[in-house]
Amino acid sequence: MNEDRLVFTWRAMLLAFLLPLVLLFAMDLTMGGSLGAGTDSLPRFGNAILTSYTLGSLVLLGNLFFYADSRQRPLAPLFGMLSAALMGVVVTVVLLNQGSLLMEDNGSIRAQIFYNIVHMFVSAGAILLALALSLGFTFSTITAQKPRRTVFEEE
Amino acid sequence: MLGLVTSPWTVPDSPSSAAGHLLGFILGPAALLLSGVYLIAFSGHVPVGRLPRSDRRLGVMAFLIGFVWFIGMHWWNLTPALGGEVNRYWLVFWPTFLLLFTCLLSGAALSLRVIGDRRATESNVMWFASGFVLVLILLAMVVDGRHVDADTFRYHLWLAGADLLGTAVGLSISILVFGIIIFLHERSLPEPKSIAPPTDKEFAHVASIVAANLGGDENE
Repeated sequence: MNEDRLVFTWRAMLLAFLLPLVLLFAMDLTMGGSLGAGTDSLPRFGNAILTSYTLGSLVLLGNLFFYADSRQRPLAPLFGMLSAALMGVVVTVVLLNQGSLLMEDNGSIRAQIFYNIVHMFVSAGAILLALALSLGFTFSTITAQKPRRTVFEEE
Repeated sequence: MLGLVTSPWTVPDSPSSAAGHLLGFILGPAALLLSGVYLIAFSGHVPVGRLPRSDRRLGVMAFLIGFVWFIGMHWWNLTPALGGEVNRYWLVFWPTFLLLFTCLLSGAALSLRVIGDRRATESNVMWFASGFVLVLILLAMVVDGRHVDADTFRYHLWLAGADLLGTAVGLSISILVFGIIIFLHERSLPEPKSIAPPTDKEFAHVASIVAANLGGDENE
């Protein structure tokens, strides 16, 4: 597969992934035009970025221990990643302090942070289930077909 | 997990109790869906570890029951409710799952067609599945359930879209930061010390190992 074809394939796959979303967007606009959550989507988007960044950094910090095993246990990357994770926590607290910028239906900053973490676990559960089912479904459709025989032409 | 599932009784006022309550509700249908897909996949034409043909019917049954159970949780009386209200995390889980599931199935359908070799039939099945989930979302956007009305679902569907996009962006940034940290650390390391070139004795030893592992006819 040449490079141009590969780029086209990736773009087409990305478009196919986004196609249902675009269709739903169009349908929603046709039906009501309010686009559901409207401005409430922005705090959710911001909270999702900050929470996934912080939790992702913590997971990758754990991953650095395996990296350190193969590099005579350097401390610099560990501190670097720890700082990056702490930066996520600090930015979250600072932005949540800015009034209603990122606050959803929660009474305090602590409640919002806790809600964000629990929300992320629930979202992660939905994401993992969707991933596992779509992978399994793809595999099922492939194995449901009759086995093929590849005939090699003689040189 | 047991602690989380029992949290509605152990710590009823905590937000995690709502998540534990939801987990208790979705464990059954999720397990049925996953085991169903597993049984269907491995009772098909797989070269090793093939399950008996009867497991296929069992898998289809488990998958259908799991899916109908989930649908019943949206439109029928099975909706997870805590303290007389719909569990707030159910309104996070269900739209997120449906939205991502239809997108992934659509992406997989095209991947099978453009990357796979003669996979048009499989690709069409995947398009159909993606379309089915899409229709389900559209129905949920217009048809009220017993406890979740269409407007509430539409509201949470776009929140789920924002949530998925935000999660993807946040995770990408953390991976980028991780890569930058590793790159900066590796770049700061001194050059490794050069070692002396192999001696004739070492060359002879390598040649003997190579010769011992070569063989076969020239036509092979």
